[in-house]
Amino acid sequence: MNPTRWLVGRFPTLALARRNLSRATLRSALAITAVVIGVVAIGAIGTGGEAFKQDQLEAYEGFGGTATVEPDPVFEDGNLSNTELSDGDIDRIGQAASGATVLPVHEPIGATVQTQTGSLLFMAQVKGLENPGEFYEARNGTIPDNWRRTIVIGSRVADQNDLEPGDRLRINVTDEFDRSFEIAAVLEPQGFTAPLGADQTVFVPASQFESDGYEQAIVRVDTTTGSVDAATQAIEREFNAREEVVRVEQVQEQREQFTAFFGTINQFLIGVGAISLLVAAVTIANTMLMAAIERESEIGVLRAYGYPKRAVISLLVAESTILGVVGAAIGVPLTLGIGMVINQLLLGDPLAFTAAGLRYVGVGVAFGIVTALVAGLYPAWKAANKRPVEALD
Amino acid sequence: MGPDPDEDGFGTGTTGETIPTDAIIRGTDVVKEYETGGQVVRALKGVDFEIAPSDFVAVVGPSGSGKSTLLNLLGLLDVATSGDVRLRGEDVSTFTDREQTRKRKETIGFVFQSFYLIPTLTALENVEMPRMLDRTPTKTRERATQLLERVGLGDRLDHYPDELSGGQKQRVAIARSLINDPDILLADEPTGNLDRDTGDQILDLFDELRRDENVAVVTVTHDDYVAEAADRVVTLIDGRIRETESRRANFEEDAEP
Repeated sequence: MNPTRWLVGRFPTLALARRNLSRATLRSALAITAVVIGVVAIGAIGTGGEAFKQDQLEAYEGFGGTATVEPDPVFEDGNLSNTELSDGDIDRIGQAASGATVLPVHEPIGATVQTQTGSLLFMAQVKGLENPGEFYEARNGTIPDNWRRTIVIGSRVADQNDLEPGDRLRINVTDEFDRSFEIAAVLEPQGFTAPLGADQTVFVPASQFESDGYEQAIVRVDTTTGSVDAATQAIEREFNAREEVVRVEQVQEQREQFTAFFGTINQFLIGVGAISLLVAAVTIANTMLMAAIERESEIGVLRAYGYPKRAVISLLVAESTILGVVGAAIGVPLTLGIGMVINQLLLGDPLAFTAAGLRYVGVGVAFGIVTALVAGLYPAWKAANKRPVEALD
Repeated sequence: MGPDPDEDGFGTGTTGETIPTDAIIRGTDVVKEYETGGQVVRALKGVDFEIAPSDFVAVVGPSGSGKSTLLNLLGLLDVATSGDVRLRGEDVSTFTDREQTRKRKETIGFVFQSFYLIPTLTALENVEMPRMLDRTPTKTRERATQLLERVGLGDRLDHYPDELSGGQKQRVAIARSLINDPDILLADEPTGNLDRDTGDQILDLFDELRRDENVAVVTVTHDDYVAEAADRVVTLIDGRIRETESRRANFEEDAEP
């Protein structure tokens, strides 16, 4: 007996089911397509989302052992107070977190950025920083060591406005300065959740600012010798003993918040993807109902010849499950292909799949098959419970 | 809905003269009603029947007379509304659906008027079909091959139904009905779509089966030719048996048209 024959003998239901599907090729193909779309939607959203998350998290890499300190503004009698950190505050932070580097950040309100042709860069933010090289790598150009008269811009500012090192931007900060700067460097993309929103920012040397008010300070601890937790607590003790004067946040915490937030978003998106599987389920249920109606008399014959109801149910469920399995089998390589493209675009390595990302591919496959199986149950049950007499009329 | 002892079971038409004691299936005062469009239709109004091994019974009558209903009851595809139907002494109304299905598989072979061969299966696979779930593929294949050879289709094993003529399909259908070694063969218009020569072959095959394997053949037919070949003709009119004609030993004669 040849192997095919043996298989048919061993799993007659599957063999019959496969042949039955081949009878309505187009219909089967459409049902399979629906499953493929569902599996790909779930898998690609999952792996793509994970790649996106990795990409965003990379931006946090330079911020290990880093905390941000911001004044906690008070709104009282129509006046906003405590909006800035003074030089004195910066010194106190430095003393409290001894051994830590404190980098004050200017975030002036009402700053405008213009190209040389006069068009406004609405989206760009202006920030004053002493040394961006502490946190960022340059994509084009170099960040000067002794940085005083040039500017460094984020990747999105550069990409959206076609800017590169050597171009000039005119920056106007109310009450501070209004002059043109040469771009020294464009930073590596950091992702939109990066601390300081680097991609959308034009960094101006802190020395350009005359005022001693800072909107934020970055506290950086060398984690081999100190602890960012200890520094955070020390700053809290120094400033917030009686009331909340400053907010201290560890970037690591922000990272965790981002991860949690992103997890929620990704699950929502996968839920949306799962809706396409719902559509697939409807398609399969329809396919199977039509098949059951079309083959009513044939099923009646099976019943007349002594096939129990269970056998008829197995046969039709096997058919719908095969649709699911084939759909999943086609969907997986497609999903991985799409995932590789996304990985390449976001992470620069097509094979940078994460375990979590691959798990979504598995989830897609499992959902695809289970959906198909469940969708086949009702038509199968209906066909099996038709009395053979009626079916044969 | 069980047997009704108050009524005289032999009231309409009688099969009195030759009741063998080893009947395969026997019905007494069988009534079958069903509902269509809110109306109750009485398809059988109290009939008696009895099928013994190697019987050849032809059921004739105008359409709507209850022939198909009778065939469905004999084939355990349906249950009587009242009256007593016994399969080898067992009351069929007590069978669960599962038992009924099993008994059907063990006892009955169906030959449907429009064959109902499965188009995706070859002749051989169609014959194997009733036993495909039995997981005895080798045995089933041997038996199916043997049966197809017997009906003269040994050279058509791997042909699909649409590659076969009407008579060949009918013979595949008969071979299929025999795969489970039934006691009764129920044939609905077995020669309905066939020319006379092919019809003759089918009738010869029936005779052979009765002689060699004691299979009883019950056929519903409009074809007088088939009725003449039968050794008992039951005429159904309006749900009642009007006459039973016995022509025994008929299958040894040469029935000329």
